[in-house]
Amino acid sequence: MAKVRKKTRRMKRGGIDMALFCTLMIMLAFGLIMVFSASSPSAYYNNGDQFYYIKKQLIWMLLGFVAMYFFAVIDINIIKKYAGPFCAVTLVLMLLVPIIGVSSNGAKRWLGVGPITFQPSEIAKFALILYLSKRLAQMSPKRLQTFKEGIFPLLFIVILFAGAMILQDHLSAAIVTFVTMMILLVAGGVNIAQLGFVGITGIACLVPFAFLKAYRLKRLMAFVNPFAYVKDIGWQIVQGLYAIGSGGLFGRGLGQSRQKFLYVPEAHNDYIYAILCEELGFIGALIVAVLFVVFLTRCVKLALATPDKFMSLTVFGISTLITLQYVINIGVVTSSLPNTGMQLPFFSAGGSSLVFLMSAMGIVFNISRYSKKEKGLTSGDKDAA
Amino acid sequence: MRKKVKKANTKKRILAFYGIFLFFIFLLLCRTAYLQIIKGPWLKEQAEEQQMRDSVVSPRRGTIYDRNHKVLAQSASAEMVCIVPVEIKEAGNAEEVAGKLSEILDVDYDTVYAKTQKNSYYEIVKKKVEKDVADQIRGLNLVGIRLDEDTKRYYPGGSFASHVIGFTGADNQGLSGVELACDAELKGISGRIKSAKNANGTDMPYESEQYLDATDGCDVILSIDEVIQHFVENHLETARINNEIAGGAAAIVMNPKTGEILAMSTKPDFDLNSPFKLTDESVLKELEEYKDDEYDEKYSEELNKMWRNKAVVDTYEPGSTFKAVTASAALEEGTSKLTDTFYCSGVKHVSDWDIKCHKTSGHGSEDFVHAVYNSCNPAFIEIGMGLGVKNFTKYFEAFGLTEKTGFDLPGEAVGSSYNAQNMKPIDLATSSFGQGFTITPLQMINAMSAVANGGYLMRPYVIKQVVDSNGNVVKNVEPTVIRQVISEETSKTMRGILEGVVSQGGGKNAYVSGYRIAGKTGTSEKLPRGSNQYIASFVGFAPADDPKIAVLVLLDNPTGAEYYGGMIAAPVVGSIIEDTLRYLGVEPQYSEDEKQSSDINMPELRGKSLEEAQKIITDSGLKYHVVGEGGSIVDQTPKPGISLKNGSVVVLYTTEGVPMQTVTVPDLTGLSAADCNVVLNGSGLNFKIAGPGKSDVANNAHAVKQEPAAGTEVEEGSIVYVEFRYASVE
Repeated sequence: MAKVRKKTRRMKRGGIDMALFCTLMIMLAFGLIMVFSASSPSAYYNNGDQFYYIKKQLIWMLLGFVAMYFFAVIDINIIKKYAGPFCAVTLVLMLLVPIIGVSSNGAKRWLGVGPITFQPSEIAKFALILYLSKRLAQMSPKRLQTFKEGIFPLLFIVILFAGAMILQDHLSAAIVTFVTMMILLVAGGVNIAQLGFVGITGIACLVPFAFLKAYRLKRLMAFVNPFAYVKDIGWQIVQGLYAIGSGGLFGRGLGQSRQKFLYVPEAHNDYIYAILCEELGFIGALIVAVLFVVFLTRCVKLALATPDKFMSLTVFGISTLITLQYVINIGVVTSSLPNTGMQLPFFSAGGSSLVFLMSAMGIVFNISRYSKKEKGLTSGDKDAA
Repeated sequence: MRKKVKKANTKKRILAFYGIFLFFIFLLLCRTAYLQIIKGPWLKEQAEEQQMRDSVVSPRRGTIYDRNHKVLAQSASAEMVCIVPVEIKEAGNAEEVAGKLSEILDVDYDTVYAKTQKNSYYEIVKKKVEKDVADQIRGLNLVGIRLDEDTKRYYPGGSFASHVIGFTGADNQGLSGVELACDAELKGISGRIKSAKNANGTDMPYESEQYLDATDGCDVILSIDEVIQHFVENHLETARINNEIAGGAAAIVMNPKTGEILAMSTKPDFDLNSPFKLTDESVLKELEEYKDDEYDEKYSEELNKMWRNKAVVDTYEPGSTFKAVTASAALEEGTSKLTDTFYCSGVKHVSDWDIKCHKTSGHGSEDFVHAVYNSCNPAFIEIGMGLGVKNFTKYFEAFGLTEKTGFDLPGEAVGSSYNAQNMKPIDLATSSFGQGFTITPLQMINAMSAVANGGYLMRPYVIKQVVDSNGNVVKNVEPTVIRQVISEETSKTMRGILEGVVSQGGGKNAYVSGYRIAGKTGTSEKLPRGSNQYIASFVGFAPADDPKIAVLVLLDNPTGAEYYGGMIAAPVVGSIIEDTLRYLGVEPQYSEDEKQSSDINMPELRGKSLEEAQKIITDSGLKYHVVGEGGSIVDQTPKPGISLKNGSVVVLYTTEGVPMQTVTVPDLTGLSAADCNVVLNGSGLNFKIAGPGKSDVANNAHAVKQEPAAGTEVEEGSIVYVEFRYASVE
């Protein structure tokens, strides 16, 4: 433990990854514009102020920048040091949700007082990435290959977290967390065969939960043929498809969406991609894809270049989580996956979740300063080798 | 070394996941492209279908005018009461809405309540609601009620000319009469507003409103003259009631030279403002014994009956009125001459059948003209036989009796008749005097017009002009000659003969002093024979030398004291002709006899000295009776302005407050005009023949009705109106 700290302390910090930073800034700006465009009708009709959502979004984003800065400049070792307790706290918070949580849209997933609420599961995802990265980095390759000492305790924690999320009826978070952690474990060097066995078992355990609620089965039916259920459960999917299809190649033009006029539920949130497609066409969808590819590429590059395994896995874990959310969101909105609540990272109007997302990005930027790029300035890699 | 391997392992795994992610991102991009490019057009169409709400802008339905631009049917704006179930659900006021609306709009509570529970954007509760009622609803200020624009058809005359004008349905579509015949012209073209709406159905704040203006309907000008129509309706309705007509009555007035219909009426009529309501109480009573579906079925059956324009859609046996056609054909073809003589023994034997004349004792020897005057069946059998089947059917067809006249109102019927191939001698015999075939009243008057107008069969029409909303004439109907059937010469002869029918023959009851009226009576027994149900009719025209109007009156199944056309239909035609000719400005021309017996206008005597008054009265051929002691006239009976017969008595009051001298009205029934005058003058009363212009009747007419009735106590000098009829069996 002391050795690791010493090693990182020796590492010199460089500048942050500007390409990644610029990509993020573009995505946030783009997202802000889209949130404004997509939210103004419902804000106008439901809240009487077409700036209702964008104002909130701006405030959250400012908070997000503060958080991002904080996590970018803080000593990474502190983060690493407190990953364990942090993780434990989020688990407790998650378990508190069913007891003292606040309901919104019929689901009890929030904690908070007054206007400031947050979903513990949103933090838990990142906390778990930090904790698993730390544990994976600590474990010797030999131990990683063992079941009882290596994979089992890690998997146990993952399932514990996923279970807690399912407990608060947050299946999408459970799935994305579970998949992200599996990927992280594999990347971290666990035995794939062992993990595959346990993983499949885990999925087999999760599947019944998926259909525990009647609405999930209906959602699946709506996924198979949304047009048959256009009046109720298929409504959102169909309206999303109408929006996407209306866009064509070049779109109706920024701000010109018609489907956002109360046709598409959650137009500024989960379904912002549909409105984006309607207004900006396939070109817009392509730009979004390019942005995420650039984002992922920069992160992966960073993960590969970072000499420290904890940092490497943390960056990879965070980027995996974000990319996975992007893939699932697009999959849902294009009706390629069954409907489940999933935000489009950096784009959806999300409140506190944006703050956590930007905090995570702060950690990524923090780590980017230790990147191999500045080879001459760091000697750590050589030492490690 | 091992550590290094592990490190490489992590990198490889990260890269592998990176590849998988890129693959998924690519896949989803393809999916997006598929939805946008391949499925895009279809999805866009579907999206726009739900986003664009079409609202229809109703055009104003055109106005229907009479020939003098009097409004017969007009559209006015009204309102449509709708409810928005979503809003009602939110407000939770379904009971209140249903309750108030059902109360104000007179609609079923349960129906309205069911509509509030529907899962739709909006529901129409009632259309064509008048403004004051709509305002009442507006005043309720209830959530979930909407009032939309609508139009309502108004018929200022109510039941006036109902069968001609027709009416519209719930969507303002023409359902009968002119409303149906000219529906395409009247209705106009709907406009549309296409606008983008949000999912709640309210307007999106921008773009793409497409307006397509509504084009108002054209106005239709009829050949009907409102005034003449009024005359016809009044006289026809009076006749219907007086003669207890069970099967309805119909009348047509047309311009024989052009074919224009000036008036057309069927009685009983119905209120165009509520055409779906049966008004005949006896019918409603009959329906009482039916229930539910059967009731509804019978009800609509009765409605259809009520809506029938009898003058056009019903066929009948014209009876003796048809003799005008037979006579014209025989004269035109030369198979009969005016000098021909016939002998009527009261019965005629035709191929094993004995056909009786209505005068069973026989008319004896008579020439052609008197055969028409007498309406003698045996004579007409001979005339018909003389014509022969070929000629008869030729003229029958030429007069347009085998085909539709081409009249412009819907539902025109064609009766059944013989043709040259299937007509047997007995058929020819009966057809000659108007039995054994059926035609419509319209066909009959049209044929009579051809007889009267110089021989030209015209196409009858009621729609004169169509004018668009900018005042441009879209359609102008000109008189159409279908063919010339008989020569001007024959027509002239026939006019003379038919005038004689009224002045000397069986049509005397149609006579009006001052006007030369021609015509023919008709009475036919309805099928099956022996039913004792008759159709009494009269077809006439006037003035006989230059016909301006032709008039047909048909009374179906009279159940009163009389059923002969000459008795009950002829006076109606006479009254119609008199009123109409006066209205048309045709000056009455009195013969010397008529002039002598012309009435004296009661002068104003009040305020004058007794001597002066006495002189005026004596000079004007009246008599007087002074009551009181005074030297000047304070009151008089009758009052000034009334026209009186020569020798009538005027009671002059010279003292104020003298009790009125009263006398009892004697019973005049059966008396001739002269006798009536004597009896009445004897009782200190004055005599007047009922009906304007009926200033004189021959002595073979007898009183059938009087006003005031016999036994009534009236003031001395009062006028007793007496109605006369010539005894007529045809």
